[in-house]
Amino acid sequence: MSFNHETSPRSAPRRAAANKKLLLLFCGLCACALLLLGLGNSPAAAAAPRQEASPTLGPLSLDDSYCLSCHGQPGSTMKLEDGSTLDLFVDPNEYSHSIHGEKGYACVQCHRQIGEYPHAPFTAKDRRDAALQLYPACYFCHSGEYEATQDSVHARAFDAGNKEGAVCTDCHTAHAVRPINDPATGKIRPDAHLWIPETCAQCHNAIYQKYRNTVHGEALINGNPDVPTCIDCHGVHNISDPTTNQFRLNSPDICTSCHTDPKRMDKYGISTDVLTTYVSDFHGTTVTLFEKQAPDAQTNKPVCYDCHGVHDILRVDDPQKGLHVRENLLKRCQVCHPDATADFPDSWLSHYIPSPDKYPMVYYVNLFYYFFLIPVVLGGMGVLVVMDFGRSMINRFRKNPGGSSEEASHV
Amino acid sequence: MSQKAKPKAKPQPAGTARPATQAAAPTNKPQAERTFWRFALDERWEHTLLILSSVVLLLTGLPQKYRSAAWSQQILATPDQVTLVRTIHHIAAIVLTIEVLYHLGKAIFLLARRKLPGDFLPTIQDVRDAWEMIKYLIFLRKDQPAFGKFNFEQKITYWFLFFGIGIMVVTGFVLWFPVQFTQLFPGGIVPAAKLAHSTESIVALIFIIIWHLYHVHIERLNLSIFTGRLSEEEMRSYHALEFERLTGEKANPEGK
Repeated sequence: MSFNHETSPRSAPRRAAANKKLLLLFCGLCACALLLLGLGNSPAAAAAPRQEASPTLGPLSLDDSYCLSCHGQPGSTMKLEDGSTLDLFVDPNEYSHSIHGEKGYACVQCHRQIGEYPHAPFTAKDRRDAALQLYPACYFCHSGEYEATQDSVHARAFDAGNKEGAVCTDCHTAHAVRPINDPATGKIRPDAHLWIPETCAQCHNAIYQKYRNTVHGEALINGNPDVPTCIDCHGVHNISDPTTNQFRLNSPDICTSCHTDPKRMDKYGISTDVLTTYVSDFHGTTVTLFEKQAPDAQTNKPVCYDCHGVHDILRVDDPQKGLHVRENLLKRCQVCHPDATADFPDSWLSHYIPSPDKYPMVYYVNLFYYFFLIPVVLGGMGVLVVMDFGRSMINRFRKNPGGSSEEASHV
Repeated sequence: MSQKAKPKAKPQPAGTARPATQAAAPTNKPQAERTFWRFALDERWEHTLLILSSVVLLLTGLPQKYRSAAWSQQILATPDQVTLVRTIHHIAAIVLTIEVLYHLGKAIFLLARRKLPGDFLPTIQDVRDAWEMIKYLIFLRKDQPAFGKFNFEQKITYWFLFFGIGIMVVTGFVLWFPVQFTQLFPGGIVPAAKLAHSTESIVALIFIIIWHLYHVHIERLNLSIFTGRLSEEEMRSYHALEFERLTGEKANPEGK
């Protein structure tokens, strides 16, 4: 460790006050340590002590101006073990406009271990290591979100050795955290919709570039808040691995959570029958069955995104690439049915409900059975059988009103 | 006359009109032992095979039809089980198809030699018989009309299932080989076949329960499709015209 402090604003009166606070800090830390022992060895607890923080400054607090007297000035840096430099500058303006700054949270409410200057020793292998050491502070207030991320694909990638697996501050930043929800409505602020894909794009840029040209991405960029961003499909915090069998089997639920909602779809004239028509057809039947019965089952039966695209989802009536162009649909069919020919895509009802115009053959087969064969023919047979049974009972009763002996038939 | 009255199958099996047990019978009740051949051996086997294959097809097909029901989801719980159920269904389907081909092949063979018996074909007399039967059922007639070898109810059974099985076999193969069929026919036949296959199975099942099982079990126990023959008593009361044609005797001597 090597501190490169260009400025060291220490003064005697301040030090006296600070000594007192240091003592309190020490007591507080001891209490924390005891609490931790009591909590046992759960990794989350070990990673971040559970403490409640509040905007009111407790006895642990140092005034922000104390911290900013050093960190508020550009140029303060620290050498890390790998030789890289960690910038210690915190833009006071940026912080005061962040949600935490606005609400009056103090530096030391996150940076609890740091204490007064001279700080407790802090070492980090590299900049990433420094961030990883500091981000568990989010747990103090946001334990639910923090724990949710521990189940996420990012945490799993991290545990598997990828230190770039996203942690809180990678998405939210450390000091410029923006409020995403509108406290009045509890919903995502309209302008925040745009931030989301941009945030994910920091790592997943190739996908973002695809997304921004799709039916959803294009609308989002044009200011339409109705369309899904990354988190609407992938979730927030406990983002699951989208390459698992389970994700695949559950994926129709993601799409249909919006696409079966008339409130959202009617505006655009989009059918809300997409799920029922999918489920009642070959592929959807199997997928929904496995989804319920064998969520880990591997299936090649197509789900929504096999035909409509994963991130490159286009309008079905796109004149070049839309699925309304039969050749485009045929290509999708041929992925699993390599010998399929031009007429094959019609085997699938394309989410239509059969009518005299769309799939008339299916429509008339249905009419034949449900309006003729079953009610008229089978119904008529049923009536005849009941009458026959009735007549035979009456005959038996007439022939033999007593009902006991059975000599009638023999001569 | 006996040649004329063969069952629609082969000419060989036992002298048709002759009593099955002959001469040596003790004299106390010779008449009660007269029986009449009705179904040849191959026809009885066809029926047995039809029952077996249909039961297997229903057991493996109904879970696929009612896939949202809890009981069928137990059966189809994993991809392996789905594959197994479908494989069994396909094997039973092949058995049924072979039987259908045998049945049709035999009919064409007999037809080509002008030996196909006509007594299972629907005639205008069947419409009249049905009408008379309805009159009997609503008490406008005292007794049932006299029938020939196959009454109109039996002909309905045969033809209803003839076409039903035909639909099941054809649509079943469309569903089995959709890629091949859509090379020859419009794609819409696949969903139409699916609907027809699914619905016809239930129609056939209901038909067998309410119509066929009623007539052969409830109305009277008629096991001739297994034993091959009917007793004289049954011939006299249910196939009077056939009895008279075969024996030259009156079916109901007392005119009752």
